[in-house]
Amino acid sequence: MDDSTPASVQNGMDVDTPPSVTSTPAVFSLDSETFKKIHPTEYHRRFLSQGVRPDGRTLSRFRKAKITVGAITTAHGSAMARLGETTVVCGIKAEITEPKTGAPRDGFIVPNFDLPPLCSPQFKPGPPSELSQSISEYINRVLESSKLLNLSDLCIEEGRAVWVLYADIVCLNYEGNAMDAAMLALVAALKHVRLPTATFYEADNAVRVKEQRTIPLKLSRTPISVTFGVFDGQFILADPDIEEEPHLSSQLTVIIEQNGGLCGMLKPGGSALGQETLTSCLEAARTRATHILGILEGALAER
Amino acid sequence: MTQRTRPDKRHSPNEMRPFYCSSALLSRADGSVRFKSGDSAVMCSVFGPMEVKLRDEKLDKAVVEVIFKTAAGMTTTKERMYERIIRQTLEASILSGLHPRTSIRVTLQVLTDDGGILSTALNAATLALVDAGIPLRSLAASVTCMIDDTGELLLDPTAIELERSASVHTFAFDNVSEGTLANMSTGLFTVDEYMRCYETCRLAAVSVQQLFRTSSEGKVRREYG
Repeated sequence: MDDSTPASVQNGMDVDTPPSVTSTPAVFSLDSETFKKIHPTEYHRRFLSQGVRPDGRTLSRFRKAKITVGAITTAHGSAMARLGETTVVCGIKAEITEPKTGAPRDGFIVPNFDLPPLCSPQFKPGPPSELSQSISEYINRVLESSKLLNLSDLCIEEGRAVWVLYADIVCLNYEGNAMDAAMLALVAALKHVRLPTATFYEADNAVRVKEQRTIPLKLSRTPISVTFGVFDGQFILADPDIEEEPHLSSQLTVIIEQNGGLCGMLKPGGSALGQETLTSCLEAARTRATHILGILEGALAER
Repeated sequence: MTQRTRPDKRHSPNEMRPFYCSSALLSRADGSVRFKSGDSAVMCSVFGPMEVKLRDEKLDKAVVEVIFKTAAGMTTTKERMYERIIRQTLEASILSGLHPRTSIRVTLQVLTDDGGILSTALNAATLALVDAGIPLRSLAASVTCMIDDTGELLLDPTAIELERSASVHTFAFDNVSEGTLANMSTGLFTVDEYMRCYETCRLAAVSVQQLFRTSSEGKVRREYG
């Protein structure tokens, strides 16, 4: 990325030599690293206007996704998802609790997404950031409203004991697009969950749990999150990474399931997005979801 | 289409609840508005452009802070998500480059929640920014709609109607650009249903924009005669 502005600055050491001797005029130029630091948005704009992104991807190309299930042996279900270098692990811990009186057969699922200081210098220790809280909340809404899990499947004894699934989703390495990675890790972990047989004994008012974990969860669908970034309101970038995120004018997340049905759409502000753009994003999301589902099936079959 | 009366006695599924606003209610705030949409009401105050905390300072533009408070109870992740959506929507409308190294604080207090609170809050925030005289690029108007379990589209649902929802869609549109500024949809829906909701909300947002206009005209008349 050269800036071809001729420099009018004369080097102080060259005072002895007459200017006529230097045949090539001094040209002010910046190497790409410096240019990126000084004009980060312009740096990206020049790449995108050529139809390519700084990391070599085309605009519509997603990063490589990788899923590993069963990474945490002590958890009832676990998975690790990677999108490029973004790494997220999800561990699901099942505990026994009393149900709410209003819904005596319903268990609970509590997703919690965390972006610890470990994963990127942009996150500081202390209470969870706005980003991680809103991702937690949105994931929770998607789980609830898409009826992914029949909560009465988590019943052990009506009105006395139910399972509560604590889904802790932790980002280990943040390279952008936390939402997709978090959702992917969560769904993979939920598919990996094996609950032990639990029986409620009225006599001593306690639940006994068998050693073996055998019962899988019945998931009604497999929602896949696909995020797009919008740059300058015109370039649609699939799966934006950490370098692109601060320069995006807007982001769009599509939660789509295997048959093309939608479980959620999230566009948290930013520049306006027209109907045609939405349609093309939905189309791209569907293709991506099919691809991700293949990887997910593969990862689950490998076990 | 069935001519069923809705719980709050509206006749059509495409009818919005009556909404109105009253502005300049708080003397300390630079701008304040109470926005009511049926039985959902939000009070919004705007302070700024004012001094910014050194840590948050941006050299080239104003920092927009949004605080969302529920009617009762603790601030949960739900409010933090609303804060993020509202902040990023307002950031797109505010000409923040005109007030570098300052802060614009928008505080939203829910008074009553009867469904569509995100829309109500966003509309309140836009009007309060106008009341505070913050330079804006455009006005963001928000509308919520839902698809019920029979597949019927209901515009601006109340809390009772939301209990039967298959999917809920909140959209924000401004008055200058083609397209949506913000959108949050949850539930199970098809692409066709989504596009139907998009179109319905886009048309309904025009009537909210009209209220913005009437309200701003009233303000100008009051202040400049």
